[in-house]
Amino acid sequence: MSTPLIHIEHIARTYEMGGETVHALRDVSLDIHPNEYVALMGPSGSGKSTLMNILGCLDTPSSGVYTFKGLDVNEMTDDDLAEIRNKEIGFVFQTFNLLPRATALKNIELPLIYSGVSSEERKERAIKALEDVGLGDRMLHRPNELSGGQRQRVAAARALVTKPSIILADEPTGNLDTKTGIEIMKLFQDLWSKGNTVILVTHEEDIARHARRIIRIRDGKVESDTINPNPVTKFELP
Amino acid sequence: MIRIGEIQESIRIAFEGLQANKLRSFLTTLGVVIGITFVILMGWFLNGLDTALESTVNLLGTDVMYIDKWSWSGGQNWRKTMQRKNITYQQAMEFCNSMKTAEVSLPEAHKWGTTVKERGRTITGISVIGVPYSYSQLPAGTILYGRFFSQFEDEYSTNVTVLGYGVAKALFPEGDAIGRTIKIGGRTFEIIGVIIKRGTMMMDFVDNQVIIPISTFFGIYGMTGRSISVAVKAGSAEKLDEVRAESTGLMRSIRNVPPGEEEDFSINETETFKEQVETLRLATWGIGIGLTLLSFIVGIIGIMNIMFVSVTERTKEIGIRKSLGAKSSSILTQFLVESASLCLVGALIAFTFCSVVIAVAVHLVPEADFLTPYVPPQLILIAAIVSIIVGILAGIVPAMRASALDPVEALRYES
Ligand SMILES: Nc1ncnc2c1ncn2[C@@H]1O[C@H](COP(=O)(O)OP(=O)(O)OP(=O)(O)O)[C@@H](O)[C@H]1O
Ligand SMILES: [Mg+2]
Repeated sequence: MSTPLIHIEHIARTYEMGGETVHALRDVSLDIHPNEYVALMGPSGSGKSTLMNILGCLDTPSSGVYTFKGLDVNEMTDDDLAEIRNKEIGFVFQTFNLLPRATALKNIELPLIYSGVSSEERKERAIKALEDVGLGDRMLHRPNELSGGQRQRVAAARALVTKPSIILADEPTGNLDTKTGIEIMKLFQDLWSKGNTVILVTHEEDIARHARRIIRIRDGKVESDTINPNPVTKFELP
Repeated sequence: MIRIGEIQESIRIAFEGLQANKLRSFLTTLGVVIGITFVILMGWFLNGLDTALESTVNLLGTDVMYIDKWSWSGGQNWRKTMQRKNITYQQAMEFCNSMKTAEVSLPEAHKWGTTVKERGRTITGISVIGVPYSYSQLPAGTILYGRFFSQFEDEYSTNVTVLGYGVAKALFPEGDAIGRTIKIGGRTFEIIGVIIKRGTMMMDFVDNQVIIPISTFFGIYGMTGRSISVAVKAGSAEKLDEVRAESTGLMRSIRNVPPGEEEDFSINETETFKEQVETLRLATWGIGIGLTLLSFIVGIIGIMNIMFVSVTERTKEIGIRKSLGAKSSSILTQFLVESASLCLVGALIAFTFCSVVIAVAVHLVPEADFLTPYVPPQLILIAAIVSIIVGILAGIVPAMRASALDPVEALRYES
C-alpha cells in the first residue's frame, strides 16, 4: 500500500467557551491515501467541519499527531500552513465563499496570486479551469450574476486551479437543489477518476453513496469507517 | 516575501474599495487632504523664499557690503541709530581712497521718494541714486541694454541717467527708452541705459530707481544733509573677512570712534537678508508644523477608524483569502496598501487644490512673484511620501488585526 497522504492519530480538538470545555473532536485516527474518495458523515455538531478544517490546515488539533505527506503539521509555522493550503489543498465550501466584488476569473486567479504565478499564466490557467467546469462563457460574471450551481462550479475551479493533492468539500451541495447538486457530484466523480483525492462532508446518504469510502462520525469520534460496496457512478437527472 | 502580484492585487482591491465608497473615502481623507495642503503650501512658500533670497544675494553680490548709517536688519537700538552722525561725502571719499583690500569701493548718495516726469506722465516713489561711473562694476550696476555713464560724463556732471528696470518698464514698455529724455528734480536727463531686473519681494524698490552721476546729484540736491552709503565689493567671498576688518578699522578711524566704543555705522551684508529669511522661515515652520501635525493626527484617526470598519466588513474575505493560501504578511500588506492608497488619493486631491490656489494667488497678488505659479515638482514627491507614511501609520494597527485573524473564525463570520 502507498504511503498515506494524510495520517492522523488520536486527534482531539477542544474549545473553551465561558469556562466550559467543548469537545468538538475527541479521539480520531485516520489514514487517507492518494486517490481515495471519502465521504465524512454524521449528525449536526458531530465534528465533521472541525475535522475538515484540521485536515485542510486551516485549524490545528489541540492534541494528537497529524502528518501530511509525511510532514508533521504540528511543527509547522503559520506561513508553512498557508503554503500547504495554497499548494496542496483545494477547498469547496457549502456557502461557496467567493469574493462578491471579483469576477469568476479573478476569483479563480486568487490562489495563484498567493503562489506567485505571473499574471499571464494566472489568467491562462484560470480560463482553462473555468472551461473545465463548463463556464467558459461566464468569465466576467460576478458571483451575484451566477446561479448557485454555477457559483459552486466556480468555487470548484478555484480549488482545482493550483492542482492540489486533495480536494476538501464541506457540504458542497448543501445550498443547491438536487439537480445542481448532482452536477457538482458529477464534477467530483470526474476529478476522482482522473486521479484526484476527494474528501467530502455531507449528511445526505444520497450524496455519500457516490464516495468509495464512508466514515461516520458521532460525538467527535469515528463511529464507522467502511468501504462503499456499490458506489453510484451513473448520474441520472430526476 | 511579498510578491509583486500580491501588491498589484492589493492596489486593485484598494481602489475597488475606494470606488465602492466614494463619499466615505473622501470624508475620511479630509484630514490628510488638509495636512498635505499645509505641507505643499508651506514648502511652496519656503521654496519661494529661498529663491527670493538667492536672487537678492545674487543681485547684491555675495561679496558686496554697504557701509551705512543705518542697519538694514533693524533690530538695533532705534534711538541710538537715530543719534548717529551722517556719513559725509568727505568721509566716504576718504574711505574709498584709503581702502586697499577691496576690489571696488564707491560712495552712493540717495534721494528717496522723488517723482520723475516723462512727456506729462509722472511717477512717484522713485529713488534717485548718485554714483560714480565705477558703479557699473557692481552687480547692481549690470546693464540690460544701453550703457552706463563714462568717467567723463561723471566728472562733468552731465545730465545722463540709467533707469532701474521698474521705471523703464513703466515708462517704456516697448523697450525704446534709450535716447529719450525724462525730468528728474526739474531737470531734463537723457536716458542712456537700463539696469537688469533685480527686484524680488524683499527688494522690489531697487527697480524703482534712476541712477545719475554723483556730481550731477549734488548739483541738484546738494551735498550736505544726507548720509552717504559706501558700497564695497571685496572681489571674492574669501576676501570678505579681510575687507570687513579693514572697513571697520578704516571707518572707525575716519569717524574718530574711540577704541572700545561701539561703532556709529553699520556694515550691511547679504548675511543680513539671510537672517531675515531665516526668521520668516522659522515663523512659517512654527505656524505650519503645528497645523500640519494637527490635521495629520485628525487624518490618522479618521483613516484608522475607517480601516477598522473595512477590516470588520471584510472579515469573511480575509478568511477566504487565508483559506486559499494568503499568508499573514499578504493580508497585512493588503490593508497597508489600502490605507496608503487612501492617503495617496488624499494627497492627489490636496495637490489639485493647491495647484489651483497657487495659480490664482500668484495671479492676483503681483508682489508674490517670488513664488512659483505652480507646485514645485520636488514637493509632489514629498507630499506623496508623507501621505504614504501617514497611510502606513494609520493602517498598521487595523492591518495587524486583519492579518492576525484566525482563518476558521474569519470564514465563519457572517456580516
Ligand atoms: N469556534 C467554536 N467555538 C466553540 N465551539 C465550537 C466552535 N466551532 C465548533 N464548535 C463546536 O464543536 C462541535 C462540532 O462542530 P462542527 O462545526 O465540527 O460540527 P459539524 O459536524 O460540522 O456540524 P454541521 O453538520 O451542523 O455542520 C459543535 O458542538 C460546535 O458547537
Ligand atoms: Mg459543518
